[in-house]
Amino acid sequence: MTPTEQIDALGEERDTRVPVTVLTGFLGSGKTTLLNRILTEHHGMRIAVIENEFGEVGIDDALVVDAEEEIFEMNNGCICCTVRGDLIRILGALMRRRESFDRILIETTGLADPAPVAQTFFMDDEIASQLRLDAIITLADAAHILEHLDEVKPDGVENESVEQVAFADKIVLNKTDLVDEAQRHEVIRRLRAINALAEVLPARRADIDLAEVLDVHAFDLDRVLQNDPAFLTDTEHQHDSTVTSVGIDLPGELDQRKLDAWLSTLLRTRGADIFRSKGIVALAGSDRQYVFQGVHMLLEAENGREWRAQEARGNRLVFIGRNLDRAELNKSFAGCLAPARTAAKKAARRAAAGASA
Amino acid sequence: MSNSTLTAGTDTTAGWTRHVEDAPVAIAARHGLIAVAGAGGTAWILDARDGNPVATVTLPGGLLAADFSADGAHLALAGPAGHALWRREDGRFLVFETGTWSNAVRWSSGHGAATAADAPRLAIASGRRASVVDADGAQLWQIDPCPSTVTDVRWLRTGRRLAVAAYSGVYCYERHAGAPVAEYRYLGSHLHLAVDPAEKWLCSGNQDASIHIWRVRDGADLTMSGYPDKISRLAFEDTGRYLASDGAPDITVWDFSGKGPEGTRPRMLRAHETVTALAWRPGSEAILASSGVEGLLAVWRAASGRPGGRHRPAFEYEHAQPIAALAWSGPDLLVSAERSGTIRARSYPVS
Repeated sequence: MTPTEQIDALGEERDTRVPVTVLTGFLGSGKTTLLNRILTEHHGMRIAVIENEFGEVGIDDALVVDAEEEIFEMNNGCICCTVRGDLIRILGALMRRRESFDRILIETTGLADPAPVAQTFFMDDEIASQLRLDAIITLADAAHILEHLDEVKPDGVENESVEQVAFADKIVLNKTDLVDEAQRHEVIRRLRAINALAEVLPARRADIDLAEVLDVHAFDLDRVLQNDPAFLTDTEHQHDSTVTSVGIDLPGELDQRKLDAWLSTLLRTRGADIFRSKGIVALAGSDRQYVFQGVHMLLEAENGREWRAQEARGNRLVFIGRNLDRAELNKSFAGCLAPARTAAKKAARRAAAGASA
Repeated sequence: MSNSTLTAGTDTTAGWTRHVEDAPVAIAARHGLIAVAGAGGTAWILDARDGNPVATVTLPGGLLAADFSADGAHLALAGPAGHALWRREDGRFLVFETGTWSNAVRWSSGHGAATAADAPRLAIASGRRASVVDADGAQLWQIDPCPSTVTDVRWLRTGRRLAVAAYSGVYCYERHAGAPVAEYRYLGSHLHLAVDPAEKWLCSGNQDASIHIWRVRDGADLTMSGYPDKISRLAFEDTGRYLASDGAPDITVWDFSGKGPEGTRPRMLRAHETVTALAWRPGSEAILASSGVEGLLAVWRAASGRPGGRHRPAFEYEHAQPIAALAWSGPDLLVSAERSGTIRARSYPVS
């Protein structure tokens, strides 16, 4: 799939779409505790909940709908392109009574694959036009997450907890009171090695500030990639997992055609192994940032905000996936740079146009 | 059909307006009655002549679909939390099931009803299954679970065969047959079904932005792809020649005359940003009403103009609010429901 112009989260206009939070994590990681807090605390928001693991959550006011994971393949030639039919159906029905809630929370089972959930928001235009995926929040139990991450699955079967960590925008590391400092440190190191983008929030009984998980704007790339740019070039991690994050931080401006070709080849050949991708890049001849994000082979890209006057133009990308070759990705990406002469010429033309305006 | 007493063709304002306290999701019209199904779970039954309320029926948990029996004596309701069959005569529920998602309810025509086998019956999508009840609410039969939640049901052979849409195909069942009597397989999520009156073609609208078409007789199939969006609505007009669908800003109208639409070009009807409802006027003139999120209600002469061309509506009515549902109450009255709850009935044709 080639980059398309879809996403609007970075525009100047206010996004009026209903925010959706996805809550993942194994049974026992504290999802029920967190969900109950979200539903009962006085935050003034009316939340519709789509749940498929709890059965009974004791709440009076919330709109609760039961879901059963229905994964649908698509006939678009993309092998990893699946969506959640149950979510499409339920979200569609909920949006017909949009006035009765302010946001939606989707709770998935511990075994659920996060990819079809995220892809649903990319693949279905009706949903994408009305709903905004705010963040994927993964709960991890500090005492047991390493066992789950290390569990060896039979050939062809995914380790769900690795995937849930890889897909997360934020990781709530729960039950930190049950482990010692050394183990806590080790768990955080492992989580970061898999997913360098996600912020890890330590918690005891899911006692985090709800604002940290409810209005994340994780798909607001500008914010995400500028939060902690250090990890982009961090090569210290001992990569003991096949799933890792690779960051690219390269100054300069890109040739759009080369970038499109590079991204499209990368996702076509490696998309099954790349869980998430995000990037903000500078295109030669454009005054605006070019931003993209993807889930497996699906990618959405658009023009973001204008580059500021004093801001150095450059490119920041992150790929989270399996068996990624950091050196090779950096090297091949460098091939997308626009020849300095072209960039200079375009800059001069821009300046001239600006002067004559 | 409707016994509307409104004079047709003399006054563009002839008709009525009503307001309901909910967001309408569907309209059923039959036998001089109109049922407006609300997202919150209430169906308002109105008199087609003047819009006066006749009754209200509520299914907790919301509504997705409603269908009147041909004589208007029964109303079936489907919603996220269950389904129901309501009898107008005494206001009683003959069926009232909660706990399972129901996407569709559909009465068989009960044409002539010369034999008990042809008496009107109701098909109900319920979770991964579909069941069939008679007009008293007694269950006649039930199908095995499908690969996914059932999205739509359609009757064939005057109510003797039921076509059920779910993931990966359309499955046909008959009473006393344990397994499907026919299967029309195609990978993907089939969202909506249409069958022409001669039952030559079975068509499904798909999540992957295509229409899949099977010849009922032998299952020979073709796919019409290339739509920008998923196909959630498609319908044949009364003669069975034309099939209209959403899936793009344009409404697409395929001509099924002769050997079918393969290799032909459709007519493209452009007026909406996103299509929210389609309703063919009863009769053989191929007049189609459509509505969109932008609040436009359009009426088209869908057979005029050349195939492959882009067409404009014969009539347009603008509304401030998005229109959520449309239905014809007989050939002379077009009913629309705005998301804000305003229900308008217009006589047709207009002068």
